[in-house]
Amino acid sequence: MRLVEIEDLVVSFRQFEGLVQAVRGVSFDLQSGESLGIVGESGSGKSVTCSALLRLLREPPATITAKKLVLGGQDMLRADKRALASIRGRVAAMVFQDPMTSLDPVFTIGHQIVETIVAHKRASKKEALARAIALLKRVEIKNAEAVVRYYPHQLSGGMLQRVMIAMALSCEPAVLVADEPTTALDVTIQAQILQLIKDIQAETGMGLIMITHDLGVIAETVDRVVVMYGGRVMETGPVEAIFAAPLHPYTRALLASIPGQQPGKQRLTEIPGSSPNPANPPSGCPFHPRCPIAEDACRVTTPLLETKATGRAAACIRVPAERVAA
Amino acid sequence: MLQFIIRRTLSMLVTFFVVSIIIFMMMHAIPGGPFDGNDMPLPDNIRARLMAQLGLDKPLWEQYLRYMWGVFHLDFGVPYQSPGETVMGLIAHAWVPSLVLGGLGVLIGAPIGILLGMAAALNRNSWIDYLASAIATLGLTIPVFVISTLLILVFAVWLHWTPASGWGEPRRWILPIMAYAAVPMATYARYARSAMLDTLNKPFVTVLRAKGLSERRIIFQHVLRNSAIPMITIFLPMFVGIATGSIFVEAIFRVPGLGAYFVSSIQKRDYPLEMALMLLISALFCISYLISDVLYALLNPRIRLGGKGR
Amino acid sequence: MSEHALELSQISKEFGGRTVVDRVNLVVPKNQVVALVGESGSGKTTTGLMALRLIEPSAGRILLGGHDITSLRQRDLKPFRRQMQVVFQDSYASLDPMMTLGEIIAEPLAIHAIGTASERRDRARDWLQRVGLDGSYATRYPHELSGGQRQRVSVARALILGASVLVADEPTSALDVSVKAQIVNLLQGLQADMGLSMLFISHDLSVVRSLADQVVVMLRGRVVERGPTDRIFANAHHPYTRALLDAVPVIDPTARRRRTFLTAEEINANTPRFRPEDIEPQPLVDTADPQLVALAGSHFVEAIVTGGR
Repeated sequence: MRLVEIEDLVVSFRQFEGLVQAVRGVSFDLQSGESLGIVGESGSGKSVTCSALLRLLREPPATITAKKLVLGGQDMLRADKRALASIRGRVAAMVFQDPMTSLDPVFTIGHQIVETIVAHKRASKKEALARAIALLKRVEIKNAEAVVRYYPHQLSGGMLQRVMIAMALSCEPAVLVADEPTTALDVTIQAQILQLIKDIQAETGMGLIMITHDLGVIAETVDRVVVMYGGRVMETGPVEAIFAAPLHPYTRALLASIPGQQPGKQRLTEIPGSSPNPANPPSGCPFHPRCPIAEDACRVTTPLLETKATGRAAACIRVPAERVAA
Repeated sequence: MLQFIIRRTLSMLVTFFVVSIIIFMMMHAIPGGPFDGNDMPLPDNIRARLMAQLGLDKPLWEQYLRYMWGVFHLDFGVPYQSPGETVMGLIAHAWVPSLVLGGLGVLIGAPIGILLGMAAALNRNSWIDYLASAIATLGLTIPVFVISTLLILVFAVWLHWTPASGWGEPRRWILPIMAYAAVPMATYARYARSAMLDTLNKPFVTVLRAKGLSERRIIFQHVLRNSAIPMITIFLPMFVGIATGSIFVEAIFRVPGLGAYFVSSIQKRDYPLEMALMLLISALFCISYLISDVLYALLNPRIRLGGKGR
Repeated sequence: MSEHALELSQISKEFGGRTVVDRVNLVVPKNQVVALVGESGSGKTTTGLMALRLIEPSAGRILLGGHDITSLRQRDLKPFRRQMQVVFQDSYASLDPMMTLGEIIAEPLAIHAIGTASERRDRARDWLQRVGLDGSYATRYPHELSGGQRQRVSVARALILGASVLVADEPTSALDVSVKAQIVNLLQGLQADMGLSMLFISHDLSVVRSLADQVVVMLRGRVVERGPTDRIFANAHHPYTRALLDAVPVIDPTARRRRTFLTAEEINANTPRFRPEDIEPQPLVDTADPQLVALAGSHFVEAIVTGGR
């Protein structure tokens, strides 16, 4: 079953400079139980895409259009406020980048998990609290009975991110959207949180969308990858295939530029230039100003995301399609 | 927490004494004395006798110590301008109108201002927002005597709904209360708007939406509670400032309040009354700031509970 | 004794009764990059700021090019400030938004009253080019730049006085993946060209592996292991160093594995133990227990020495 269907999503923001398109025609979908990674740099539109999926952006200044924007079988573009509130947290739950600012500082941890449960399920406060404690235990918080009475400032970042995960799981969502869930955390804590997310996904069979700028996180956690750049999808495919043989020159350059892959002090392969400014994007392919194999046509035509091999697609006119392409 | 309150109380007492010395010195630094302003100058010997009677011939430090000794025994002396009563008695009866009118003004103005500010924050950049901003700006920029005069003109002279002035039956209170309400309303409208917007832009509000809470619950439980913390802390000092009377409002509406005495006691070098009024104001401000700080600490778990629990 | 560009000796810092940095010894040899790694709360940034005397140490000594600068007054410190400069993580906060890039880069020259205004302008333009920006950027403002470009400007400003020691505090952490490599290469190139010595403070072990000659690992204010980069990455002895290295995501989806995580107590309980014959003769620090012991190949680790002959 398809949990998420996004087709030709465009998100623009009314800003001082005029209308700025942060997402320019993104399409992908997510099957139930699948884990999908969306990788991109700042300004690639990866976070905006997922906020738009849950309709979390303030509209205006944001404007969302799409041929399809479906979450758990419901048309998110048509849903009214009440329908949206009932979908969020129940069909799809989110975990955000900075756990330190993700919780309301004046309410206890327990209160904030309980209110989530009560919003979606028929449960008494007492039942909800018992469930909150069970969830905190599931995310490996040892003194869960005490932690429900804590205020957010009394916990470390790593613990708070566990709380956020417990809260996201509280209504057994079909999809967990994790937006840079480990970026603000220390390396060792990051590894623990990623392992926890993977374990829970395996256990519950929920779908996972992992948004990150870190290819290492992608390599560790997901089945399928969407590579975004300049508000567009550059490449999609199974994670092993993408890391073994990236199709798009951007993906290739990105993988090559990761430091520390070989021992020894050395010069790194760098990508010249900088990411496009969404307010003033380049014509044609967004990557052409930095692309080593760009030709004249790349400056003019915007390449479409085309199937290049089984299960793999890339938006690049310089990448030939294999004969086996389905 | 208790330690915090004790520390703050002690520092408040020190502040209070320092302020009392400064006021006392400034008061006496103004040239002239209580018997200098009359049209008919007093003969020197009578003057000297009066001064001696009031203890004004003693060195300043002794006068101060005597005065404070009296204050310590709740004896604020006798006002020169009305020797028939005590300073305490005069303040007690003159304060009633100021407290009633100013207090009601704040109690009515502040909630209206909060509602205006909330409406503005929730409808950012809409006509409601602009209207609320305009009202807030007008309320803070138009002097209170202009507002008072306009109120009389509209409601008393043109519409004949209320009496123009006076003190007594509650009908006469309406216009001065409205005049007093302008500043707290405007202040709170601005304060509430920025506090709400500040909270609305916090990441945790997005998290609350992503959890599927209704917008009403998000606003009334989470956003309001977070925004209330800074708003509560300005309430008491504002109340003190307004409920001690305004010379302008009381003069225009002919209210026999405390306001007039602030000016007359200085003009007439009525040292006991002047000193008592100043001490009253500074004590009230000191206490209101102390309570505000304690409230702030109580409402904010980060301060109330201190560091990490774990 | 002037063989080291920067030397911290038994340096400590206490904040409100809490020891944030505990008797740290650290040496940056000339023309080398020493990476100071650790997680939040390890004291690595405090150590870096003490080296710069931007935070005053509670105890210990700071030697810059062999000169003790620990207790110099600010005025006497000024000539040493020219030799030692800093680049921070947040290039946006550390560049004055009201100044042009040319002015920002030339400012250290103006502060030290070097050259005429036009000479300073020319040198600023030279430096813009050296850090890979066009000379025309001199008249632009920080907000017009991308994060990577701003970091280039920070580097130019830091090096225009001809510093010999650069302290870089997480200079690549706020940058996009595709730009990170540019800045690492820039620092590496300048280091080689100018004979710079660098203290590179970072939690990003991948960058450290490609850039540093030596690695110093800090945990809760103490150095627990240090040694040549290759040895640390290939043969770490301290359980915390191992945990840190093990936690780095592997860029190969076919090599996924479950990890086991040690708690702080387990790390403490697993302090390495050596017999005296396995270590180099001289313990580096003899006041602390457990202490840093010397292994072969200038590799030091916090360990307990047990069971002598």
